[in-house]
Amino acid sequence: MGNKRKHSEAEAAVDVKKDDSAPERPKRTLLGFKNSDEDKKENDSFRVGFRNKEKVLVTCSRRISFRYRHLMLNLVDLLPHCKKDNKVESKESKGTALNELVELKSCSSCLFFECRKGKDLYLWMAKCPNGPSVKFLVNAVHTMEELKLTGNHLKGSRPILTFSSNFDKSPHWKLLKEMISQIFGTPKDHRKSKPYHDHVFVFSIADDHIWFRNYQISCPHGGAQKLDRGDLEKMTLVEVGPRFCLNPIKIFGGSFGGPTLYENPFYVSPNQIRSLDKRQKAGKYAKKVKAKTRRKMHELENPLEVDEFADMWNE
Amino acid sequence: MQNNATVNGMGMEDDDPVVSGSESESEEGEDVKLSEPSKTAVYNKDGLLDKLGDISWPENVEFQHKLSVDIDQEQEVDVNDDLTRELAFYTQALEGARQAFTKFQSVGLPFLRPSDYYAEMVKSDAHMEKVKGRLLAEKRKIEEAEERRKARENKKLAKEIQVQKQKERAKQKKEEIESVKNWRKQRKQSGFAGGDKDGDFSLAFEDGKAFERSSKKRPGVAPGDRSGGKTKQGGGKGGKGFDKKRKDRAYRDSKFGFGGKKGLKKQNTSETTNDFRAFNKSNFPKQKKQKV
Repeated sequence: MGNKRKHSEAEAAVDVKKDDSAPERPKRTLLGFKNSDEDKKENDSFRVGFRNKEKVLVTCSRRISFRYRHLMLNLVDLLPHCKKDNKVESKESKGTALNELVELKSCSSCLFFECRKGKDLYLWMAKCPNGPSVKFLVNAVHTMEELKLTGNHLKGSRPILTFSSNFDKSPHWKLLKEMISQIFGTPKDHRKSKPYHDHVFVFSIADDHIWFRNYQISCPHGGAQKLDRGDLEKMTLVEVGPRFCLNPIKIFGGSFGGPTLYENPFYVSPNQIRSLDKRQKAGKYAKKVKAKTRRKMHELENPLEVDEFADMWNE
Repeated sequence: MQNNATVNGMGMEDDDPVVSGSESESEEGEDVKLSEPSKTAVYNKDGLLDKLGDISWPENVEFQHKLSVDIDQEQEVDVNDDLTRELAFYTQALEGARQAFTKFQSVGLPFLRPSDYYAEMVKSDAHMEKVKGRLLAEKRKIEEAEERRKARENKKLAKEIQVQKQKERAKQKKEEIESVKNWRKQRKQSGFAGGDKDGDFSLAFEDGKAFERSSKKRPGVAPGDRSGGKTKQGGGKGGKGFDKKRKDRAYRDSKFGFGGKKGLKKQNTSETTNDFRAFNKSNFPKQKKQKV
């Protein structure tokens, strides 16, 4: 499409040139007549000047639980511009391995689902090759398979991203917003994307967590590409899923590593929570035993006086 | 744990009970926060903004590329209240979709999916069938519950009606008895003028209805035969033994009765009470004579 327009404009330019100067045959190329340099620049700035070539690598760690794997697969379904790759062993050196993998797949960003202990899901969101990267703890996961989520939409249609206004409050939220909008937004004219818009992503910050929702837009319309006020009023949304909640833990300067730029000051790791819980439960028995011995000691220290009327009724 | 702690970099003492809401952390979706921010947390604002500058798209990127909308959140959302939280997300999505659609319209690009545009969907048809099945099942469940509730209410109502009816019946009975008493009194006062004929009985009642046994003559049915004479016919049709019955036996059965309650047959009815025809009147004088 762009090419065609370029062609016609080039011709127009040529006509103008013919008028004011000596006839100079423009060079022919495969695409049409070649323009002079000025024209080209003008055209370029007039055209896009910007082309989103985002490509996301989506992988997960080994020993991921089925639920989290399904969440990952749902995201793969939602992002037509992503590439899914094999599971990666989650060890100390995974950062370099992942960086290599991303480069190998010629991707520009990465979503890495890391499952620890079969119950905690961490999500790495990284811009490759030179950062930044974020590590999230993922909570409240609902996959698309759940029957309560009744919506459905085109596979590969470009989502509308909505951000709550509190993303602009502080620098780290701003950075996260930019990363999310780049990773989750499907590039325009991506070959796997479909031309219509029938779903909307919600990214909202509540309680210092990023909540994700995906809704189908069902809008009554009479076939034409026109909506009046009433149609917009009548628009309803049906949730498609998945749902999850991201708790940012850390932001790093590089991709999968580098200097720490941000740390969540409120974050407690699930391991600590569990250990605390266990300790509380473990204390129960010790407390009981302690109380028992204390009681015994007390009784020994303060023996009861012999009751002089004890045998009164036994005679 | 070790790894996490290092990543976390908080150096929190284990005994320090700064974790709030420890009861609910086992539940998924609930999470625990430090009650106060840790002092050692890194927050490199310049670095963050620097990185943001590195990765961000140029300022003047058209909406067509970004497709992102910022929506004002009116107030803080209470995270633990599911309903208000989801409502907040929903309104955000709705507002965003509306804004985006108006923008699309102003640009003049197609954005609505035509009704004849079929393509692969995110969820498969099989899955959507399941969803539909579930919705239908839920609907049915609700309807059934509604029906049950209605039936229960009806039952209650029917009981009340029944009680009402019984009361009414009792009342009517009482009235009837009363009227009979009245009639008796009247008769006593008038000196038994009417005699003991049946006709007077019926006339004396207030509603003019005679109280009497159903006096329909059933041909060929013995008095008190509750089967309505069917024993005879049924007997005829029945097994072998009945077939062999002689004709006169059948006749006699129908005349004198066979089966049914015996007691009623031998009771007096109002007609037979004062009917002494069956007595042998000649006995009495004979005895007298013999005595004398």
